Amino acid sequence: MRRLSYLIGMMLLCSLLLTGCWSSKEIEERSVYVGMAVDLANKTTAEKQLESQGGGTQVQPLITATIQIVPLKSVGRGQQQAESGSIKKYLNVSETGNSIFEIMRNYSLKRDRAVIGHHLKVFVISTELAEKIELHKLLDFLLRDNDIRPSSMVFLSRGKAMDTLESDEPDEIPAFRIRDMVRNKFRNNKIYKEVILTNLDGYFHAKQSFILQNIAAADTGEIEFTGAGIIKGSTNKWIGDLDQENLSAISWIQGDSSGGLLKTVNDRNSIITYEILSGESKIIPKVDGERLSFHVDIKTEGRLIETWDAEETASKAFFLKEAEQKFEQKLETMLQNLMKKMQTEYKVEVAGFGDRLRITHPKVWKKVKDDWDDIFSRATVSFDISLKITDYGSSTE
Amino acid sequence: MWSKVIEYFPDWKAWMQAIVMTLIALGSYRIHGRLYKWGYNQPKQDGQQQGNSHQQGDGQPQNIAQQKVDGQQQGENQQQNDGQQPSDPWQQPQSQPSPQLTGNYDADMALIKEQLGNNSDVHFRDFRISIRNSRAVLIFVEGMQNEALINRQVMQNLMDNSFVKFEGYAMHNQSQAFAAYLKDKLLPISKISEVTDLYELEQSILFGFTALLIDGLPHALLVGEPAPKVRAINEPTSEALLRGPRIGFTEVLGENTALLRQHGRGADLELKMIEVGSRIKRNLVIAYMKEIVNKELLQEVEDRIANMNMDFISESGYVEQLIEDNWLSPFQQVQNTERPDRVISALLEGRIGILLDGTPFALIVPVTFSMLLQSPEDYYERWLPGSLLRTLRFFVAFLALMIPALYISFISFHPGLIPTELAITIIETRQGVPFPSLIEVLILEVSIEILREAGIRLPKPIGPAMGIVGGLIIGDAAVQAGIVSPILVIAVAVTAISSFAIPIYSAGITLRILRFSGMLFAATLGMFGTILFFLFICSHLTKLKSFGVPYITPASPYRFNDWKDLVLRAPVTLMKRRPSMLKPQDKKRRS
Amino acid sequence: MFTRSDDKITSTQASIFLTDSVLGAGILTMPRAVVVAGETPDVWLSVLLGGLIVMVLIVVMVKLSQQFPEKTVFQYAGIVIGKVPAFILCWLLIIFFITIAGFEVRVLAEVTLFFLLEGTPMWATMIPFIWVSGYLLFGGLNATVRLFQLILPVSLFVLIVSYLLSIRIFEVDNLLPVLGDGLLPVFKGLKATVLIFAGFEVVMFLVAHMQHPEKAIKAMIAGISVPLAIYFFTIIFVIGGMSIDAILRSTWPTIDLLRSFEVAGLFFERLEFPFLVIWMMQLFCNFTCYFFGASLGISQLLRIKFRPVIFAMMPIIYLASVIPQDINDLFALGDIIGWSGIILFCLIPLPLSIIWLIRRKGLRQDA
Repeated sequence: MRRLSYLIGMMLLCSLLLTGCWSSKEIEERSVYVGMAVDLANKTTAEKQLESQGGGTQVQPLITATIQIVPLKSVGRGQQQAESGSIKKYLNVSETGNSIFEIMRNYSLKRDRAVIGHHLKVFVISTELAEKIELHKLLDFLLRDNDIRPSSMVFLSRGKAMDTLESDEPDEIPAFRIRDMVRNKFRNNKIYKEVILTNLDGYFHAKQSFILQNIAAADTGEIEFTGAGIIKGSTNKWIGDLDQENLSAISWIQGDSSGGLLKTVNDRNSIITYEILSGESKIIPKVDGERLSFHVDIKTEGRLIETWDAEETASKAFFLKEAEQKFEQKLETMLQNLMKKMQTEYKVEVAGFGDRLRITHPKVWKKVKDDWDDIFSRATVSFDISLKITDYGSSTE
Repeated sequence: MWSKVIEYFPDWKAWMQAIVMTLIALGSYRIHGRLYKWGYNQPKQDGQQQGNSHQQGDGQPQNIAQQKVDGQQQGENQQQNDGQQPSDPWQQPQSQPSPQLTGNYDADMALIKEQLGNNSDVHFRDFRISIRNSRAVLIFVEGMQNEALINRQVMQNLMDNSFVKFEGYAMHNQSQAFAAYLKDKLLPISKISEVTDLYELEQSILFGFTALLIDGLPHALLVGEPAPKVRAINEPTSEALLRGPRIGFTEVLGENTALLRQHGRGADLELKMIEVGSRIKRNLVIAYMKEIVNKELLQEVEDRIANMNMDFISESGYVEQLIEDNWLSPFQQVQNTERPDRVISALLEGRIGILLDGTPFALIVPVTFSMLLQSPEDYYERWLPGSLLRTLRFFVAFLALMIPALYISFISFHPGLIPTELAITIIETRQGVPFPSLIEVLILEVSIEILREAGIRLPKPIGPAMGIVGGLIIGDAAVQAGIVSPILVIAVAVTAISSFAIPIYSAGITLRILRFSGMLFAATLGMFGTILFFLFICSHLTKLKSFGVPYITPASPYRFNDWKDLVLRAPVTLMKRRPSMLKPQDKKRRS
Repeated sequence: MFTRSDDKITSTQASIFLTDSVLGAGILTMPRAVVVAGETPDVWLSVLLGGLIVMVLIVVMVKLSQQFPEKTVFQYAGIVIGKVPAFILCWLLIIFFITIAGFEVRVLAEVTLFFLLEGTPMWATMIPFIWVSGYLLFGGLNATVRLFQLILPVSLFVLIVSYLLSIRIFEVDNLLPVLGDGLLPVFKGLKATVLIFAGFEVVMFLVAHMQHPEKAIKAMIAGISVPLAIYFFTIIFVIGGMSIDAILRSTWPTIDLLRSFEVAGLFFERLEFPFLVIWMMQLFCNFTCYFFGASLGISQLLRIKFRPVIFAMMPIIYLASVIPQDINDLFALGDIIGWSGIILFCLIPLPLSIIWLIRRKGLRQDA
């Protein structure tokens, strides 16, 4: 009996020793990537030749994925501080292939530290690629992977997506810059609300059209949010762009403009600017037999923040009334432009009308949801804007 | 159908794993059980016979005790015990009747000298009593008696001629009359007693009494009481407070019990004296509130103390370890304290205090986990600061236990669970650290432990200097040399400071031990291992009992009434009842 | 009595035992299962309805158990329907408990390996887990429930806080329209929601261990209300935060919800960390409940001591947990468990109550 218990004791000890640290890998031995950009790859001449001779079994166009790795390996502890003023803090690495996962694993062929996706913040897709490949294919790996968090934001880029992950400013990490820029929405309603992977999951399943924030990049390493790209639900491909003003109009329709401005010229051809303090909207769908119509009620209050018209006194009521009218006209034009783009140019609905219909008329929605984009392009939309200037800042003249 | 079933049948690997798993579980259970038996069986066997003897004690030293404890209540207990003394096996190990004093001065002296004469510190001072001109001798151990008292009150009086004659004492027996005269007129000393038993006499002399043997008297007189070397009452060093009494226990039992009594008037406090130790004996006092304490609990404590079997109980730590429920547990099931106010307030909750002669550390039973994180100051301060500090301490205990384990699991296993910016900083600072996080943490933790251990032994003047050298310079140099990362230095420093913030030193040590096993768990299974470790500790705590009270009451089982004094300390006006977990006789604090 | 010798639990403790035995893997899998069945945002109604139905079933079981004070179902079944049929039924119940225990520990392993410990062998997560649970069970029911009491409030707190923080991605629109498709999908969802309460069968041995069995109904209703509320909050917040469509595409919707946002500035900006931690602890309690139930059943049925049974159960539960070969098998097993819970209810407490009622009436007429 005693011998048995010794034996068991030994087994216990051995099993403790055997339990190595299976999943253990130090954090500094892995590379954290915080941004990722996918572009259409340029085929090399060799590949083109092979393809013309019947080789190259690539069904899909090739993808170049660029990841942004932070931080860099530091050279030495002492020098680190001295140099940190000038060097970049990130590293962009590109790799080409036709499966995102394959590309991710190919990084291991190139770099000593395995890349991990826990800290992926932004994912930028070039419209060139989004036009050719369905978005859900591009994003499938990101949605499935256990490392990548669904909180990652997705953007489109008119130019090369990898350029948006560059910055000339020292000590700046471009991926973080994009992430933090989205938070500026409260200052400017030309920024579309953040779209995260979870949202896309829903859009894909519902086959719903949606828009993604567009990013433009300059050679100097500067970037700008320039409107949005439209992804059509039925194909999941990019079909066109909305400009900044369209985007602002979408914010108005969705009642999402809590900050930003409205700029127009008055009768005397002077610029006047309205600062949005609050913006609410109500979409009221009306179903009349087969005919669908929507009425959008927009209510906003704000401040006259800038006027180039030296003649007028802001404290005078009629001046404010006139300005209000001008702003309302401007807003109306913006909205009509947007409707034109949605209903006639692209034949998609990305402003949330469908969602409203789903809530108010679930039965109707069931019938129309499969070809909603088409049905919406035939619907009539009317707007009712009530804009109120509540104050004129700290200057009365 | 069958092929389907067979397809889902676990393969041989799973069977092997299942078998090995069970065997390991069984094995560790057996080892645990064997260890337990090994520790417990032996004392249980002869503890039965000897147990009583400790409790009853033998008459003589208990008389001493009785004299020293200035309470009235002990009397009855002692008397009962005295009655049983002949049956006591410890008094006469040779099972012979103890020799008595014969009354023959020379013979007695020879006997005593034979027994004690070999000790160089036992002095025999021969002199003559002037009244009767009879021989007399004072026997005492050097340094243990009150010399001035003996000189002035005994020697001077007895050697003085001019003293009143003892004419009034005409008794049928000359020597008896003289003895009475001595006591009544000649020796103005408060403590005096007669001894006839030789064994008892020797014991008393060695304990510090001064014996007076007079030719012609049939018994010896014990005059005065021992005046052992006493330390002044100091502020307790291990439990210093900003607010509260600055009194700590000393090494003298009598003074300690007096400190308890001095807390206020009231006949409720009962002190029960028990003698412990089989070779060298010591007094131990069980203190409790007669009308509050649960009688069954008291009985349990008495039984356990009676069952202790040790030749010498040198410190209350021995008592603690001999009476605790589970000696394999890392958690202490008895609380030790130097503060009389802490003991008194525990008694008023219905707990029991145990004081041992020769140590300033008193014990409190039963103890619950939350007590280890409470400080008397919580009650002295107003309730908001009290609650805040106590909440802080719970948090700190968690930190002290878990920080290194969390550090390891984050660094080595789950880079995805830390905030991005923090992850980047950590990667930057950890580049060039050649060790995996476990080794890194071990290096720093062990050096901190060494530093702490060395700090206790350093002489006071160089202590702070060495602390600075050890803490600051080594830490900074280790970072500079790239052995550890700066983040870890912060983590370890916070851990170390946290464990100092725990009001009870020994509880801090427990957390220090557990921290290391937590680190091992984390190094094996990351966060999952840390959770398992935490669950394991919690399972252990819920199973643990201190004298029948579940260790983590009142947190669980819920005793909502007691929650007023758990993490938060409710205003005193709200604390109307004593903790119900102790099932006290008198439940109300305020009426 | 100062030290208790009997292993009885208070009413609160009994409630918590029931709560813990229901609240387990369901937090993670429930939203998807329910939404798949109902395909409407109204499934939260199904959850509430399912909870109410389960409450009724529980009342039946409590009433039955109260007829036999101090006796568990393993003991009183024989009295009602005779030794042999009772023996078979009790074995079914025990196998049911073993299967659930295996299922829970397997779900734990799957989630842990997927999100936390990629690359660790599965046995390395399951075996220590079973060990710790066995260690806890050695302390008897009382110590076990004390641990539950310690963990449950923390779990509830962390759960609620995590959900409340997800309010930043919460959109009421995702929950609307209410009853847009009528009541039919709600009843379709009901099919899945009754299943998530599987495990309430523990009531049949729990009542026997109560200090005051007369308070059992109140305690058990309270006990089932907590998971009901938690499931309700879960489904509301998951649908609100993710929308039905995203849930349908997600394997573990609740975790995905918490992974969909970051709380900048908090020390842990990623809430799946505290959530997974407390979920594992909760699963530990959940697993221990069934471990206890199965061990108790065997020890009472075969009249052997409790402790050896714990050792015997360890490998059995482990083997039960490795039976599903992939994640689809696992989810299928989850469904089977749900259904067999219902079937078992129809097999054991229902006929037992009816037979008992008839026999008692018969007796009364005789007398």
